[in-house]
Amino acid sequence: MNRTISSLLTLAAVVWSCGLAAQTITGVVTDEDGGPMPGATIVANGGARGVSSDIDGRYSLSLGEGEHTLSFSFVGYVKVTRKVTLAAGQTRSLNVSLETDAVMMDDVVVIGYGVQRRKEVTGSIAQIDSKEITAVRTPSFEAALQGQAAGVQVSQSSGVAGAGSLIRVRGVASVSAAGDPLYVVDGIPITQNYFLRGNSGAMNNNPLATINPNDIESVEILKDAAATGIYGSRGANGVILITTKRGQAGTSYEFSSSAGFSNPASLPNMLNTEQYLTLRQEAWENDGGTGYVWLPGFTSAGDSPESRKAAFEQAMMTDTDWVDETIGTGVKHNYSFGARKGGEDYNLYAGVSYDDNGSYLIGNSYERVSGRLNADFEPADWAKIMVSSSVSQGINNRIDAAWSGGLGDAMSNALPYYPVYRSDTLFNADGTISGLPGDYYLYQDEWGGTKNPVAVRESKTWITTENRSINNASLILTPMDNLFIKGSGGFDYMHVREDIYNPPSIFLTSDLGNANRYANYVLNWNYSLTADYKMDLTEFSSLGLLAGSEFQRTDSYGYGIGFGDVTGPIFDNDSLLEVANGQTTVNNPSQHSFLSYFGRANYTLKDRYFFQGTARVDGSSRFGRNYRYGFFPSLSAGWVVSDEPWFESGTLSFLKARTSWGKTGNAALPDYARFGTYSAPDNGILYNGEPILFPLQPANPNLRWETSRTVDASIEVGLWNDRVTTEIAYYNKLSQDVIMNVSTPPSTGFTNRWDNVATILNRGVELSVKSRNLIGGFQWTTELNVARNYNELKSIGNYTPDAVSGGTNDSRVITGSPVGSFYLMMFSHVDAETGLPVYLDRAGNETFDYDNSERQYVGDGLPDFVGGMTNTFRWKNWDLRALATFSYGAKIFDSSSKRQLGVVTSWNMRTEILDRWRQPGDEATFPRLTLDETTYGLPSGFPWWNTSLFVFDASYLRLRNLTLGYTIPSLGTGKHAIRNLRVNASVTNLFTLTSFPGLDPEVVRDFENAQDRNMSPNVTYLTPPQERAFTLGINMSF
Amino acid sequence: MLTKMNSLRLLGCFVGCTLVLSSCDRMLEFEPGDVILAEDAINNSDDLQRMLNSNYDVLANVLNGRQQSIAELLTGNMARPYSSLDYTAVWNRETNFFTPTTGGLYTDFYYAIYRANVVVESFGLVDDLDDATRVRLEAESRFVRAVCHWYLVKMWAYPYGYTADNGHLGIPLRTDAVAPPSPRASVAEVYAQIIEDLEFAKSNLPNENGPYASSMAASGFLAHIHFLRQDWNAAQTEAERVINSGLFQLDDDLDRYEAGSDSTLAGDNINPETVFGITGGYFAVDGDSLLNDRSSAFRDNFRQDNNANPQLTFSGGINDLFQLNAADDRGNWVESNGVVHKVTRFDDKQFFNVPVIHLTGLHLLRAMAIATNGGNLATAIGDVNAIRDRAFGADLNDLPAGVDADAVLTAAREEYRKETLCEGWEMDQVKLRGVMGEPETVRGAPWDCPGSLLQFPNSSTTAAGFVLNDEGGCL
Repeated sequence: MNRTISSLLTLAAVVWSCGLAAQTITGVVTDEDGGPMPGATIVANGGARGVSSDIDGRYSLSLGEGEHTLSFSFVGYVKVTRKVTLAAGQTRSLNVSLETDAVMMDDVVVIGYGVQRRKEVTGSIAQIDSKEITAVRTPSFEAALQGQAAGVQVSQSSGVAGAGSLIRVRGVASVSAAGDPLYVVDGIPITQNYFLRGNSGAMNNNPLATINPNDIESVEILKDAAATGIYGSRGANGVILITTKRGQAGTSYEFSSSAGFSNPASLPNMLNTEQYLTLRQEAWENDGGTGYVWLPGFTSAGDSPESRKAAFEQAMMTDTDWVDETIGTGVKHNYSFGARKGGEDYNLYAGVSYDDNGSYLIGNSYERVSGRLNADFEPADWAKIMVSSSVSQGINNRIDAAWSGGLGDAMSNALPYYPVYRSDTLFNADGTISGLPGDYYLYQDEWGGTKNPVAVRESKTWITTENRSINNASLILTPMDNLFIKGSGGFDYMHVREDIYNPPSIFLTSDLGNANRYANYVLNWNYSLTADYKMDLTEFSSLGLLAGSEFQRTDSYGYGIGFGDVTGPIFDNDSLLEVANGQTTVNNPSQHSFLSYFGRANYTLKDRYFFQGTARVDGSSRFGRNYRYGFFPSLSAGWVVSDEPWFESGTLSFLKARTSWGKTGNAALPDYARFGTYSAPDNGILYNGEPILFPLQPANPNLRWETSRTVDASIEVGLWNDRVTTEIAYYNKLSQDVIMNVSTPPSTGFTNRWDNVATILNRGVELSVKSRNLIGGFQWTTELNVARNYNELKSIGNYTPDAVSGGTNDSRVITGSPVGSFYLMMFSHVDAETGLPVYLDRAGNETFDYDNSERQYVGDGLPDFVGGMTNTFRWKNWDLRALATFSYGAKIFDSSSKRQLGVVTSWNMRTEILDRWRQPGDEATFPRLTLDETTYGLPSGFPWWNTSLFVFDASYLRLRNLTLGYTIPSLGTGKHAIRNLRVNASVTNLFTLTSFPGLDPEVVRDFENAQDRNMSPNVTYLTPPQERAFTLGINMSF
Repeated sequence: MLTKMNSLRLLGCFVGCTLVLSSCDRMLEFEPGDVILAEDAINNSDDLQRMLNSNYDVLANVLNGRQQSIAELLTGNMARPYSSLDYTAVWNRETNFFTPTTGGLYTDFYYAIYRANVVVESFGLVDDLDDATRVRLEAESRFVRAVCHWYLVKMWAYPYGYTADNGHLGIPLRTDAVAPPSPRASVAEVYAQIIEDLEFAKSNLPNENGPYASSMAASGFLAHIHFLRQDWNAAQTEAERVINSGLFQLDDDLDRYEAGSDSTLAGDNINPETVFGITGGYFAVDGDSLLNDRSSAFRDNFRQDNNANPQLTFSGGINDLFQLNAADDRGNWVESNGVVHKVTRFDDKQFFNVPVIHLTGLHLLRAMAIATNGGNLATAIGDVNAIRDRAFGADLNDLPAGVDADAVLTAAREEYRKETLCEGWEMDQVKLRGVMGEPETVRGAPWDCPGSLLQFPNSSTTAAGFVLNDEGGCL
């Protein structure tokens, strides 16, 4: 229809111009980034004359002589009006740049199972378009959402290539069930298992890494129950809808490329040899030792003074900077090409990309190759077929990180007096040579592991390959006006294969190495049927109805193969698969399914009163018949006050209020948690030659959904003709029956049980502001969002804090405190007289006793405020964009500090330890040095000093991204003209303001499971910091 | 647009498809693979028997040296462990609720108790159970339950007699499978249940039952239990029932840990003086795969012939004890360089049976009971000399007839300590002597310092109200 009108208008303009006018005005309509805007409407003098811009954004309008008023408009952009005077026969050029309309009342927003005009939206939805997503170069697209939407906390993971992010929408509402939002790509709830390989190599699998950000058209984040209610049982933690690009009328191409390099955003400050030996000697003497201190790897405490002295002097001759040996400069480059083509009855989008993202960790990179084809076809005016298909492969060249090795070793067990390579000959007891000068110097860590970060990196082969294909096909039928029946089928295939080859040089145990392959593949398919009907009830009211059903099934499989005595990795030698010494372990498949029925009704009155109700019934295989189905309703309303006839538009140009209530759920728990199980008959275990039968897991037939009831209210305001727009929202989300994998007393016969136990409150306020501070030739726009969330674990039943733990991260469930609270011994100060640590018991009394039963809440990792601010400056063809993100009020538990800044052990230490007590009267941060953990009250043999001393303020302000761009609107003419060319230079993580003394206040460490992921935000354990990346890029369309 | 009729058909199809979806509740039925659902697990008496076998399986996994090693570390028999942090914590008597080794041991005992209770409570689920089998299954299950409760209460609570009424805190007492988490019962309650269970087993099991629970095995345990309760008569009675049964004979040599061999079921090679023990240790037929390894903690902790730095070694005190008389063949169990006193008792053994209740122990137990209780000293002297003859050679180091009770008691205690080295029984002796008021210390700390009790694992406290042991105070 619009196309027809445009054509007629163009034709009329042409006829008019040929016949009546000799004056012409031409130009290009561009968006705020300088990109051409095809389809923009240019109307002269209030609608008397009008044309549409072509695919290059060009327009030409013939007008009469004299003064004219031209208006330039496009859906979702602020209308621009210009006055122009044309003399007889004059041809003038007028280029116009349209800015995104902050209110965008007629813009279309993707919602669950459909779209909606923004004006009609009654739920809380944040929309982020492709430009924001591709503006920041990140290891994975979701990291680019950081700072873009109020109430959406995005914490980027470590500096390891391909690492994922932790996203929380309006706080944490789960404990043991996964607390991540639901990701839906083109209608398919995709596989989002972060733990296919646990935390192998101190890294969790990132299920979003293979998604090409250049394929994304927009991302909608559904936050409140009105928005997420249509996803029912899976909406409690928010929903992220990802819509990929589709074809457009005409033919156009897009190409983008960038190249850059990265280094660590911060560096660890480890001691050098002289410092370490000095402190170790001091600790030895503090403990009453005489002579030279014994040195790990060289001597032991029982060795003679002469041996210790010789070893000490030998150690002083080496000073290895292991950090420097493990980090370098990461090189990265990517290329993306997309083509769009559209005709009368079809649209096509095809895109390919290649991305090679090398991290600053030597030997670590993530390569992604992807392709996408999205096609729409309308064989009849009542039928439309839509197909979306993507294939991608991610190849992660892995290294050991954090606790697994590499930089983690450099920050812990790699002592500076260990050389990288031997300088002497090493003999076995029998006189044979076991090491020559130039060989790697291998040392043992405290657990007996053979170590040397350089040797391991250079000798070990470790590649994780992920093949992913996400596909969807839909048939949309329109049997009658305003009725749309849509049938969709989707298939998401994920295959993650990890290949490891450990050479003999690492293990010193045989002439050959060992090779392992761990493979997991997930088949996830769904289909849905929806019927969508819209009707006008009266002249002033309309009703929209949606009804549908959906089925989704996910099957996960896995196997592992191990080979001993081989010379290389399996992928280099597939014939290994045929040899006899392979040990294959096939994991049992894990399956689950959802069967759902849902409906939505939207009632609109006078185009300013909006009401919506949604209801969804979900059935899940994860629950037994007692609680298999859950019902999740929501109600919401919106009122565009500024559309009231009595509303006088002055300073206040726009006002909308909305509110909602709804119930959503979470069912992201292991597939078979509800079952009581016994060992299989062929379990292979015998006692005295007789088979045995034994229980594995207790049953809980009453296991049921987590349920969140959310109340949400917001006000949207536009000021000064929407030059400043703002939205403030309040929500209160009470999550009940929260699932906990409770650690049960062993006397019950089991150690764990899945149960609905907890109640969690998330309450918060969100504010977002967009202000066009300066307009005209020099433009300055500020976008700010800030969110405050209060999180409290209201109840955990009759359990104690230790009932659920965040793995090794010392976080526990504490009634009255947030999820993710650190539960540690409270450190008070260093006693000035003795130099010993003074603790506080729960009653607040000072004590020298370190007593685990006196652990208490010492802080939590959840921030009070998070947000982001983007300032964009434009002048002529230049633009400068600065994105700053911030977090305030969270604590970080620097878990590795308990070894780096505690008892002097076989770990290297950080330079902060220099501020230690040395003599009576000293006021110091750290107590007297000791080699004996009992000095600090710890049990002997356990130098893991878990105290609040290592809980730090994690507030930060980070210049997340700074991009300078220059846009050339067009180059050349004709068919091969470049319509838009933009070059940019970008810096990511240029600086961070923080008082956190560790590496990075924004951290997502490797987690052991979903529970750990919920409970241990802001815990760092030798976690590599994020990278600082410098990138040059080019984007063009033609 | 479609015609009205076609539109209606399409709508009908939509409704139909939706209804088809809605009729498929079975699409939501997935069951875990390679396991049995609990409701399908126990259907007949074979299932109950296999469940009972799993009780023994757990027992075998805790009495394979794990329990014994930890108990030994709480006494003066052992030197500081070589490197194990957990064992060091036990040796220092400073375990806490994060000490995984002791927590794991505690947990495993309750696994067995739970399974025993499941067997007893599942008789109604099967219909092919005859009365004799039912009674046997119950008796064996209660035997296992009692034994596990006893080991737990010995290590996690102050001993019987520590308070006059034994009302001090014991351990959670579990006599049914489905009850909610239990608080700690008193030691008196725990012992009463243990004795009741063992009496049931004693009355309802055959005297011999291969490597499984038997009436004699129940008596053997009862002898030890009554001994710790200072019920000397009952201890003597139960010990004599076993000794006099004629079913067991003292071994001719000092090695009660009989090794298995290729394809040889250890059950076929039980030491003649074993009243109750753990069987295990044989290779699969192809000789490559190790099956039924039930001696790993002994082997891995103590062996020194294949390990330059064994985890557990004898204390200097034990070495000194053997130095007193070079004729004692048990001195060969120590390989000392003057600083480290390694254990040779398990050298050259890879997989072997583990005697738990044995005739040597019962002889010496009877001797101690008699010597303490004023009974027939000749019997007690005979018991001691039977052991000494084997260790020193016949009549080379015998107790002379006519020695007084104190001398018999001293000798019996010394022999008991030597004979049961690495078996964990010395812990009972230390606590008993302490309860009896003797000045007992371990490495300079009072025998009942708080850390002498193992700390309960953290998971035991996850249900509110559980009382932990005090910690520390032993260093």
